[in-house]
Amino acid sequence: MSEKSATPRMKTDNIHRQWSRFKYPNSLINYCILFSILLFFTFSVHYLNIPLERILGMFGRLGDVLANRYYPPDIDYIIDKGYLAAVIETVQMAYLGALFGLLFAIILGWFAAHNVSPSKTFIYPVARLIAMGCRSVHEMIWAILFVTILGFGLLPGVLALTMFSIGFAGKLFAEEIESIDMGEVEAIRAMGGTHLQVFIFGVIPQVRVAFTGIAIYTWDVAFRAATVVGFVGAGGMGWYLKRNIMQIETERTAAILLSIIVLVVISEFISAWARTKVSNAK
Amino acid sequence: MAILEVENLSSRYTAKGPEILKSISFNVEADDFFAIIGPSGAGKSTLIRCINRLVEPTSGNIRLHGVDMLSLNSRSLRHMRRHIGMIFQEFNLINRMSVMDNVLSGRLGYVGALRSIFRVFSNQDIQRALELLERVGLQDHIDKRADQLSGGQRQRVGIARALMQEPNLLLLDEPTSALDPKISREVMELIRNMAVELKVPVLCNIHDVQLAKEFCNKIIGLQDGNKMFDGPTETLDQSSLEEIYAMEVL
Amino acid sequence: MQDKTTALKLNDVIGLRRKKQFVQLGFVSLLIGLVLWSIQATIIDDTDWERIGTLSEIGESVSHFVGIDFELIPSLLGPTIETFMIACIGTLIGLLMCIPVIWFGALNVTPFKPVTYPLARVAMTLSRSIHEIVWALIFVSAVGLGAFAGILAIAARSLGFIAKMSAEAIENIDPKPVEAIRAMGGNNLQVMIYAILPQVLPVILGIVIFEWEINIRRSSVLGLVGAGGLGLVFFRQMNTFNYPGVTTVILAILALILIGEVVSHYARKAMI
Repeated sequence: MSEKSATPRMKTDNIHRQWSRFKYPNSLINYCILFSILLFFTFSVHYLNIPLERILGMFGRLGDVLANRYYPPDIDYIIDKGYLAAVIETVQMAYLGALFGLLFAIILGWFAAHNVSPSKTFIYPVARLIAMGCRSVHEMIWAILFVTILGFGLLPGVLALTMFSIGFAGKLFAEEIESIDMGEVEAIRAMGGTHLQVFIFGVIPQVRVAFTGIAIYTWDVAFRAATVVGFVGAGGMGWYLKRNIMQIETERTAAILLSIIVLVVISEFISAWARTKVSNAK
Repeated sequence: MAILEVENLSSRYTAKGPEILKSISFNVEADDFFAIIGPSGAGKSTLIRCINRLVEPTSGNIRLHGVDMLSLNSRSLRHMRRHIGMIFQEFNLINRMSVMDNVLSGRLGYVGALRSIFRVFSNQDIQRALELLERVGLQDHIDKRADQLSGGQRQRVGIARALMQEPNLLLLDEPTSALDPKISREVMELIRNMAVELKVPVLCNIHDVQLAKEFCNKIIGLQDGNKMFDGPTETLDQSSLEEIYAMEVL
Repeated sequence: MQDKTTALKLNDVIGLRRKKQFVQLGFVSLLIGLVLWSIQATIIDDTDWERIGTLSEIGESVSHFVGIDFELIPSLLGPTIETFMIACIGTLIGLLMCIPVIWFGALNVTPFKPVTYPLARVAMTLSRSIHEIVWALIFVSAVGLGAFAGILAIAARSLGFIAKMSAEAIENIDPKPVEAIRAMGGNNLQVMIYAILPQVLPVILGIVIFEWEINIRRSSVLGLVGAGGLGLVFFRQMNTFNYPGVTTVILAILALILIGEVVSHYARKAMI
């Protein structure tokens, strides 16, 4: 007895049914989209002259370069007093920039939140536009612009980080405000509260915890940015990086990069720890 | 003279949307405990919110103490709202603030920007808040956070907050539908006693006909935005109830 | 009697509130003092106020930037496309490099927990911690100037975020379909394809689109360190003091980012 006949067959009508995974118009459209995306990528690779065959070999080469030119990192150079001062400058720059940015971002988030914005026709779109503008322009570009206008130093760095933080935190704040419970807002409105009172009594108590988390995150991201804005002359560790790259001091560059990585990882751990603390305190 | 006169009030949410209220008229007198009843979706909540313009009516007239509510600019509207207490279905307390701060927030309409930032209220306000909290039976919970209270207690905070405004009209938006029957009766009793004591007229929308009959002296019935009944509670009989709640099983 | 207790309580309550307010006030003024001190130390002392000059001089240097260099616009097209492509391919390569990291980094599917899981976590942290400019510097020194270094920098930078969020998505899946496939005798690969991927694929796609949007912004500055795109043009305008040109390049960047935002908005909508 063959195995096939051992399985009892289901009784079915003798109508010839057809099933296909591919259903005519929809799957055709989907495949067309997929195909054009693929085509775009192929074209891009060609347009940018990317040596695809080198991608795999690149990792070996990267290791080679790192081992020969960047090893050993010049640790003595970064324990130097001047460099440590630059590190402290970087921390201060990040914290001041994030602080100013957050102060503006709270107001901007309030204005750019559709549900509590003081004026939906005028203030809301303007605030949205400002938030988008601040966020779209990269912090390095802000740094360059401020350096051109104000000269070298920490001030342009702080201002660049401020602009960056406004855009970054403003959007998150606005989204947070838009998801609050409107009942409390309605209660304050019903008793004749002003827009400011609605914000302070109806909105702030609900978003305080979330705002603190966002603020810590913003500080963390601002610090990451602060390590490199010096590259264009806005103060801090970035300036050392730039100088050593220019002078092809590869071992010193390696040490600086290493210190940046270590500092950022430390700040990330602190920020993650603080954020879990805050969200647990809810 | 009527405290609140509503004439031909109509409302729709969007310009081309369906009409939520269709030309409603009624008067609230100084000693009224006025109920709005009707099936859900009849427009009760919208009607209440039109009175203090949390929802903008599309046409009609609302006069409170002879003041035309619909012609007010936003500043004078705020000044009018200071005297209209409102109690909500979901309490709408500031959950993360203390009971005391919640009750004090009823004075916000009188407090300037700087003082509201630092939550500085006058000693008279604090005194009044304490007295009100004692009256609603919450004297032992003053420093608790609002979200630590039970539903009935929260609604009592809501009542104290509304009375803190020294209102000359109380709007109740389904004050009992988030509470169990026993607590509902207690809360309604408390509101009635306070309203009588402070001589505040009350306009109340309520889905529970039994409670409405028990506590209110006048009733209007809404169905699908139309006024189906208007009169003293005694005249509300089974046939008019059936008309209001047509198509809905009581 | 009643009045007396109320009066007593009133004084208590008022006293307590005042005390709380004073403590708050003290705390706030301490914070403000601290901030003012660091402003004094880092900004006021450090800045060369002579160089900045008066407000009107600042206004004058800002006014240099007002205007658009129309002659520059045709030559912007190439770099704009290049920036866009760097972002696209960078995200794609980042996604491809992500796959093993996601696999190793999700607690419920990682093949050998004591080794692979920490390895993936370190990779994620490293990738996210290092700024794109630093990544670009590293890759420029490895593969030389040009778009290729930029692509690798973008890929390296986005790897961490995509991997972290995707691994979290995998950790949070509904375990019932996994059980079902296992119950009918499926192996690990089949569990992956039939039970896990269908659940997380839309999430991962959303993450990738989000990251792609950010990558457009990032790729617009990579040219500063020689990794191609609009950043290079920006730098050139800056060095030749062609300030209206600078404004034009920034506007081009804004336009590109706006396109990215619109595309990602509709792509996310189409997915849901």
